Amino acid sequence: MDTVVCIKQVPHPDHFSQITLDPVTKAIRREGVPLVMNPVDRHAIEAALQLRDKFPGKVTVLTMGPPQSREALEEALAMGADEGVLLCDRAFAGADAYATALTIAAAIRKFCPFSLILCGCETADSGTRMVGPMLAEFLDVPYATNVRAMKVMDKGICLVEADMEGGCMKVELGLPALITVNRAVNEPRIPDVMGIIGVADKLLSTYGANDLGLPAEKLGLTGSPTRVAGVWEFKKDRRSEVLKGNPKNASSDAVARLREWGGL
Amino acid sequence: MDYGFSKEQEMLKKAARQFAETKVAPRVLEIDDKGDFPFDLVRQMGQMGLIGLVNSKQYGGSGMGHLSRMVVIEEMARVYPSLGFFFQAGNLLMYALENFGTEEQKKRYIPDLCKGAKVSSFAVTEQSGGSDPSAMMTTASRNGAGYVVNGRKSYITNADVADVLGFVAKSEGGFSALFVEKGTPGYEVTRREPRPGFRSIPVNELSFTDCHVSQANLIGQEGRGMAAALPTISAIGRTGAAGVALGATQGAYEGALKFCKERVLYGKPISDLQALQFMLVDMNTDIEAARWISYRPAVLMDQGKSVKDLGVDIARAKYLAVDVALRNCLKAQQAMGAYGQSPEYRVEMYLRDMLELLTAGGTQEIMKVVIGRAITN
Repeated sequence: MDTVVCIKQVPHPDHFSQITLDPVTKAIRREGVPLVMNPVDRHAIEAALQLRDKFPGKVTVLTMGPPQSREALEEALAMGADEGVLLCDRAFAGADAYATALTIAAAIRKFCPFSLILCGCETADSGTRMVGPMLAEFLDVPYATNVRAMKVMDKGICLVEADMEGGCMKVELGLPALITVNRAVNEPRIPDVMGIIGVADKLLSTYGANDLGLPAEKLGLTGSPTRVAGVWEFKKDRRSEVLKGNPKNASSDAVARLREWGGL
Repeated sequence: MDYGFSKEQEMLKKAARQFAETKVAPRVLEIDDKGDFPFDLVRQMGQMGLIGLVNSKQYGGSGMGHLSRMVVIEEMARVYPSLGFFFQAGNLLMYALENFGTEEQKKRYIPDLCKGAKVSSFAVTEQSGGSDPSAMMTTASRNGAGYVVNGRKSYITNADVADVLGFVAKSEGGFSALFVEKGTPGYEVTRREPRPGFRSIPVNELSFTDCHVSQANLIGQEGRGMAAALPTISAIGRTGAAGVALGATQGAYEGALKFCKERVLYGKPISDLQALQFMLVDMNTDIEAARWISYRPAVLMDQGKSVKDLGVDIARAKYLAVDVALRNCLKAQQAMGAYGQSPEYRVEMYLRDMLELLTAGGTQEIMKVVIGRAITN
């Protein structure tokens, strides 16, 4: 069973305070901020590797991004993925979720035969949770998001448990399909030394806009129907107030005050 | 800063840090408090290939080399110095067997030691001290197809948990390097030394009483044991001590830096106060200096330079890195005031552990003797 895992390189969450935004495009400026693989993407890779143990096939990791995104792919290869695909072209720059999903879909259609596509349920930087579902739509396959548990059955069926607000939904998907996973799905492995040494022998292909056969107006910023109109920082103010009286009344007051302040 | 790491070494550093932060960090207080040897972590490190970095692939290692080992020790010690210290002693016999042992010995012992399925130790020091190994009293007398060993060894790291123990004893023609397996009649670990630091790594006294050791357990040539032991202590023990010192100092520094940025005094973080900034700058600069000096012999060994020719570089690395560690772990504790003495902040652990490095792999004074001889010759 061949699996494609879509990953992304994002600014290191420990260094978010160093991130600045381009005042014109409102895009994230990555310069000087250490980059890491999007944390939940590790869980998607782990899920693919565990599936490969039961259903032999190829695990391909794919990312779209600048040349340094290669590092995230190499890390995935060190974890045990078989091949890497880097979609890298200046024409891809500034893509929103729609243009990103369209580009990745074109690449998967052309270069990556699959039974299953796995993604992290969200990225640590933009966190739209949209690329996975859009990708499924473009590839015309069923999908489930925010999956906490999954099991592939022998008959080309995948059973998943997807987290929802206040509950959990059990879904049966016919393969090929796309699944976005959350952190509860597994504990990702740490690359071992032989995995690290083995990266050099694995295939890591790079494709640009010309390789995908998509018209230029569908790519990058030009192909993005959404624009970030404004970005601002949350101002975090602390307010304190001592509520006097007996504990019962004070707790009722506290709840009322929190409601009033929008905290509940 | 670029130390000339290869892409593999960059990834190794990241993987080691990930292991240390996710598997080790949450358990440090518990493990250190109990003082039990962390077998499960050692096995996990072995399965990841972190223990056999200087052993070759044919014997179950990876051959990634000394700089890689230094980086891994540093990453472990940054979070938990005891775990870094495991490598300081745990790699000694592995190196000695690979470089001076027979093919049979290499095949039989090194793979399990690389995997962390077995643990080893190496014993030279005796009650007379470790600075003058030629004064040792332990003897290995010829007896048929082997030796009868009698004597005692002191301050031997990992001995209590070792499945196999290398040692040096007086023999015909000088000194010989040998090894015994756990359970060999006449070989006994007699005591665990009470120590202020590296609480989960045992340091033991052991004895040999008419202990029969087979000729097959001779490492290298009879009477040439020091030719195997001394380069091993230098290439593995002293560089290991430097690596532990670097990692622990980095951990203490990061702890102090975080504390100073968060601790508010006079309405602003104390990191804004120049007195504290100067302390942090001293720590930061010392670590960088010690790191460069410590990486140098590791890089040169990886390039094929002989350990014998690097004795002074290695002594300098151990001397400076440990000196920097003691100075700066104390400084970190000072910067944190009373919090620095609380186990929860871990800086007191780093300081306790660094005291142990004063003697590990040779005292600071012996390092100076090695360097002194070279510069005054």
